[in-house]
Amino acid sequence: MGCYAVFSREVLILYKKIGQMGYVFSSIISPFIYLFAFGYGLGNRVEVDGGYLPFLAGGIIGITVMINAFQQTATSVSVGKMYYHIFQNLVLSPIHDFEVIIGIIGAGMLRGIFFGGLIFLMAWLVFGAVGIHLSLLVGAVLGSFCFAALGVIVGLVVRQPDDVAFVNNFIIMPMTFFGGSFFPVDSLPSVLRVLVMIFPIGALNRLMRSAVWNMDMAYCGLILFVLGLIFLFISVRLYRQYSE
Amino acid sequence: MDEAGYAVETEELVKTYNNICVVDHLNLRIPRGGVFGLLGPNGAGKTTLMKMIAGLVRPTSGSLRIMGQDAGQRTPALKKLVGLIPQDSNLEREFTVEEALKVYGRLFGVKPLDSRVEQIIEMFSLQNMRNKTIRALSGGMMRRVLIARCLVPQPELLLLDEPTVGLDPDVRQSIWDIIASLRNAGKTLVFTTHYMEEAERLCDHIAMFRQGQMVFSDTKAALQQKIGYDAHDLEELFIRLAREGV
Repeated sequence: MGCYAVFSREVLILYKKIGQMGYVFSSIISPFIYLFAFGYGLGNRVEVDGGYLPFLAGGIIGITVMINAFQQTATSVSVGKMYYHIFQNLVLSPIHDFEVIIGIIGAGMLRGIFFGGLIFLMAWLVFGAVGIHLSLLVGAVLGSFCFAALGVIVGLVVRQPDDVAFVNNFIIMPMTFFGGSFFPVDSLPSVLRVLVMIFPIGALNRLMRSAVWNMDMAYCGLILFVLGLIFLFISVRLYRQYSE
Repeated sequence: MDEAGYAVETEELVKTYNNICVVDHLNLRIPRGGVFGLLGPNGAGKTTLMKMIAGLVRPTSGSLRIMGQDAGQRTPALKKLVGLIPQDSNLEREFTVEEALKVYGRLFGVKPLDSRVEQIIEMFSLQNMRNKTIRALSGGMMRRVLIARCLVPQPELLLLDEPTVGLDPDVRQSIWDIIASLRNAGKTLVFTTHYMEEAERLCDHIAMFRQGQMVFSDTKAALQQKIGYDAHDLEELFIRLAREGV
């Protein structure tokens, strides 16, 4: 199948990078510092049901999934398109547009879940602050799908690497800090609270933290799934229009 | 010659970038089989034309047919017929030579993949290089692997964008040998070059471009009859074309 050929190519690139220790370390150092600094720095001051550390750990795993699925995909597509020209190999191949995009998104999901899993392990080993439950798994899969698909859009649209930084600063960073990753959204102004409800990171964080599967979690999963599908179809459309 | 007889056929083909016309109402016919050279100074539109044929650049207007098929509909069958060897390497730098060949073959659905890759490794004498990473290869070796990789899916039409630029004479000679053997195998090769000696040696047909327009296109034999050129004369013509647009 064409999407498997694309997926396996992307996974081989990821595997080669993982072989370089610096790559793994640089991908998890920021979330770990967040976890350590906020956990110890604010742990006693923020009141959250169930304790701040489990709350924070869920949020940090969520943003790790988001950043790795989104940023790595966006960077891989944009740099592959503009500098190394390796994206050309996909465009030249006889694989159907939809399958190419599915393959790239699949690899982005794997990246997001892999690095999210590493942070989960750290949070579990160091702080004992997390546990495996259905909503966390659903969140990891649907969240990485949604953000990897968004990453493909950004990767295809940008004309220079600085544009990825622009998206990071104006979309990903605000979502990270206002999406309820570090503190409960109850303390936000009401307008922002409404936005958070539809931010994909807000839905992802709620899934990461819930120990039970209920209608609220199904709603969060649905948001991520529907947004992911929308991003997927936009990605396919952009890919079809690809021209250097 | 009927439509299916041409490897590439363009009609009033135009490509503009920000209102700058890079390929200007081009009417070009590239016959099947043999080597077709696209010559012209930098910025003449040769690489853009190559990329349009390969499907990396969308034409602004006009028609483009490849092997008798409308290139606007990039069907998988059509894509399998065309191979591009770009000027800048598009090899995945993290891969080994063998991985690069296999991954590319898998993208093109080549079966049986392993035996085809072995065949190519042998054909290009890459046995000692198979486990080397792409980033560790010299420029000449990288170009060799680029050509080898392009041939894994066995395309009928090969587009080579300045395949020998910046290479030492020995490597250049080996690439000329590869091009000659592909021509003998009945493939259609379209290539751009700035080396007139190369064009003289390899091409069956030559087209010269200037500012997005084709100045002339003819067989080498016909050109020799018309202007009685050798490689030196061709170079002279090239320089006059670049400077004065003769």
